[in-house]
Formats: sequence, C-alpha cells, structure tokens
Amino acid sequence: MSNNWEMVIGLEVHAQLNTSSKLFSSSPNQFGSEPNENVNFIDSGMPGMLPVMNFACIEMAIKTGFALNFNINEYSVFERKNYFYPDLPQGYQISQFEFPILTEGFINIDNEGNQKKIRIERAHLEQDAGKSIHDIDPKFSFIDLNRVGTPLLEIVSYPDLSSAEEAVSYMSSLRQILMYIDVCDGNMQEGSLRADVNLSVRKIGGELGTRCEIKNLNSFKFIRQAIEYEFKRQIDVIESGGKIEQNTMLFDTSTGETRAMRSKEFSHDYRYFPDPDLLPVNLTQDQIDKVKTSVGELPQAKLDKFINDYNVDKNIAKIITVEKQNAILFEKMISETDVKPKFIAAWLVGDIFAFIKENNLEVSSLNEKTKEITDLLKLVSDDIISNKAGKEILPKVLNGQGKPSDIVKELGLEQVSDSGELEKIIDEALIGEEENISKFQGGSDRVLGYFVGKCLKATKGKGNPKLINKILLERLKK
Amino acid sequence: MSDIDIKRISYLAKLKLPHEKEEFYANSLKDIIKWVDNLKMIDTSETEPLHNVTEKTVSIRKDEINKSNSVDDVLSNAPERAQNFFKVPKVVE
Repeated sequence: MSNNWEMVIGLEVHAQLNTSSKLFSSSPNQFGSEPNENVNFIDSGMPGMLPVMNFACIEMAIKTGFALNFNINEYSVFERKNYFYPDLPQGYQISQFEFPILTEGFINIDNEGNQKKIRIERAHLEQDAGKSIHDIDPKFSFIDLNRVGTPLLEIVSYPDLSSAEEAVSYMSSLRQILMYIDVCDGNMQEGSLRADVNLSVRKIGGELGTRCEIKNLNSFKFIRQAIEYEFKRQIDVIESGGKIEQNTMLFDTSTGETRAMRSKEFSHDYRYFPDPDLLPVNLTQDQIDKVKTSVGELPQAKLDKFINDYNVDKNIAKIITVEKQNAILFEKMISETDVKPKFIAAWLVGDIFAFIKENNLEVSSLNEKTKEITDLLKLVSDDIISNKAGKEILPKVLNGQGKPSDIVKELGLEQVSDSGELEKIIDEALIGEEENISKFQGGSDRVLGYFVGKCLKATKGKGNPKLINKILLERLKK
Repeated sequence: MSDIDIKRISYLAKLKLPHEKEEFYANSLKDIIKWVDNLKMIDTSETEPLHNVTEKTVSIRKDEINKSNSVDDVLSNAPERAQNFFKVPKVVE
C-alpha cells in the first residue's frame, strides 16, 4: 500500500437527550426497562394518535446551539422520513430535514497540542427507533419498542476530520460538552451517544473520493478501529483497480472489519415531507435567550481558568476538566480553604482519584467530604504533617474514620517543627562529623543529603524536613 | 416528464404488482402526474414554501411522564407475541 493517500471523515453523532419523557409522547425515556414497558399508543404508531412536542427537547437543542457555536433558528420544521422496518411502527421517523433547528456551528479540538477547528453543518431533533432482536429465534425477530420516540439530537459535522485520532478527539470533545451542559448522559455503552462515520480516501490534496458510511459505532475504540480498517479497505480496492461504491457499512466488533449491508438493490428513498401532525416550530428570541443562562461554564473555559487563574499544570487541569463532576469537586474544595489550588489539584488527580478508582466510587460522592479533605491538605501544606503521613491518613479520612487532626494526634504523626528541639538534634548529629563537614564546605553537596537523613532518623522520621534542611545549612555554613 | 420506474414504486409502497398489470399502473400514474404538473404553469419562483396553513407554532407540553398504556394494551393487537416482545417474521439487514 503506497502512503500518499489521505482520509476525509465526517461524523454524524446521535445524542439521546436526557429528558424524563419522550420527544412526542409522555412515556418514560428510560434505558434498561422490561421489554415494551415504556410504550404507549403514540409510540406504537396506533392510528389516530397525535404527537405533542416535549418543550424540554427544544430547550436542550437551544442549549447545545449555544455550546457548539451554532446559529439557532427561530423557524424549524418536522418532517416524515419514510421507511419500512418493524422497529419503526409509524412507518416513518419524525425528523427535521430542510429546516433544522441548528445550522453552521463549530468546535475546536485538541490533537496532540494543536488546535483544529471542526465545522458542524447542522443539528436536528428526531425520534429514535425501537430495537430488533434477531438472535433468539431462527425464524423470527423480536421487537422491543421502548426506545421508540426517544429524543435524539443528530449532530452532523463537515468532512473536516483527517485521521482516526481527530475523529476520536472530536467525539470526545462533543461528549464532554454535551455532558457539561447536561443534555446527554454520554453513556456510549448504552447507546446514549453513538456515531456514524462517513469516510472517503483520496490522493493527498486530490479530488474527493466516493464515501462509505459506517453505521452505529458506540465506543471510541470502535470508531478508531472502523476508520483504520475502512481506510485500508478503500485504498486496497482502488489500488487493485476497483472502484468504491457508495455503501452503508456495518462494523463487526468481533473481527474489527467493516462489511456492506445487504439490501442495496434499491438506494433509500425517504420521501421526506412536512409532518401534517406537527406545526412548524416558531421560537421567539425571548425563548432562545432564556436558555442561554443555563448553559453554564464550558470545559474549555474551565480549563483556561484552572491554568491561568489557579496556576494548575496544564496536564493536571485537563484531567480535572475531563468530567464536569471532577471540576465541581475541585472548585468546591478551592472555595472552602486557603490551601493553594495547585496543591489541591495535585492531590486530587493523585491519591484522591486513586482512592475513588480503588473503591469504585462516583467522584460526586466526595462532595460531602470536601471539608475533611481540605483540612487534611491544610495540615500537609502547613508542614504540620509530612506528605507521606498525609497519604497515609487520606483513606482513613475518606472512609469517615474521624477528623484529620484527631487521626494525626491518635497516630502521633505530627512533625517536629520546634526549631529549638531540632537544633539540639542537629547539633548532636554533627558531633564527630568534622570530616564530612569540611567536605561540604569544600563543595560536596551530596553530604547534605547524608546529614538530613541522619537527622530525620534521629527524629524517628517526624522531623520537619524543610526546617531540618534550613537549620543544617545555617550550621554548616558557619 | 421523467419515466416511471413502476417496480421501484411498488417496492417502496410495499405493494405486490402482477407483471401483466405493471404497464397499466405505470400509465395511470403518468396520467396523474401529468395532471398535477398543471401546477407548473404558475410561477412560484418568488413564493416561500408553506409548511402549514395556520400561523401558529407547534403545540408543546411539559417534560412529564404519564404512563397511559400497559404492556398488554400495547401488545393486544400484535399478530404474535413472545413474552413481552412483538414477534415478527425475521428481518435482518
């Protein structure tokens, strides 16, 4: 395979909105219920049933519009997209086609330190379909309509992505933002967020090739694998003299390969037309402005704030801002103590996250314990206890085994920070060390470490190392 | 007027058409389209498309759950059911 090929990728991302009820019916919008539990006569497509718009879905679309830099259209129209499939009992999906609610947005993605602007063509509201289960019976399919009518926001990017890494980075930024503004739970495993990948190949800088669409990828890993496989497949076809046919592909998660879906004797003809059951959406500027206040701080703004205002290292700030609940916990701690944010941040992504992971906890479960945590960190940053002692006590504090100051007393972990006491110990330690002292004075810094160690040992590890260092230097320089 | 692909139309409409009737229906459809094409005599280049005859906006409701039908209600018209699923002839893409 020659290497002067490049890929051109666009993503269609389906985000399930985390409303209580469905887009056009009052059935619960809930994952994991018993089959056909969350279905009413509207969802099951009974004749004469009329859809009624859930306004929360419109509000969530507007919110997304602000977060992804979209034009938010006052006028949008629901249309019927017609196709036959047993998990679509109406015989059509209600979607937006010619007049979507959001047009021309963008986000910036981070790809190995470089910023790249990815333009987003549109986003529109539509219904999800039900689920068909094919593997229970050899002759029959089983249909569960629980998912029918679940509100989806389909977000369609321009083909601005040019590698699997960029596609994954785009997807994860999108997921992060949608979770920050609380419109989607981001759970890819449950299908709350999934992507269709449109991919074509071309000679670098050349004419666009024919694209194939890989359907329904529900993890970052699958997105990456599907792109890498499909890229090679298309190049192989072309280099062996073939032509790429515009196809809809499925990704086989067990083999990591893509294959064309079977029914392609007719290309789809959806015959869109405005749904006569639903009037067009006419929003007022007032309705749109009202939502703006609920958008809140976005991940990038938080990241900038943590780095610039709080002096947190970039990589640590990134880890904290990955998920909104991390940032909430961090900011709560900052607000409750005068310990430096940078110091708190290092402990958060270190020992505190390790504790959370080890015990399988939700980050938000620590929101109740921030007082105890910051009290402990204050003891460490004020040198009352050593860093090592702090690490030792943290799990006890997080497990609710008492106040940090009590635990410190109980275990006798307080550092000796009394200069008088330390001076005595140091003076004793220097007795008979004339040779090493003159070595130090002759320029050998290594001897200092030896002295610090000796003094620490004499305090049974409880001496404040910073203070010991300071006093030692004073003594040795005499 | 473009020609009519009667096989494709019957496929999309999920209607089975006997071979000997294909020409008859193709011609009937052509006549209908020819008649509707009279609309093209009107110049609409300056006219905005109309999606609804009322000036109103879509009716909305609050995001509240109301379980109006039970599983048994929903499955009562199913040709076949298996536990709480609809059971249908195998469809695999």
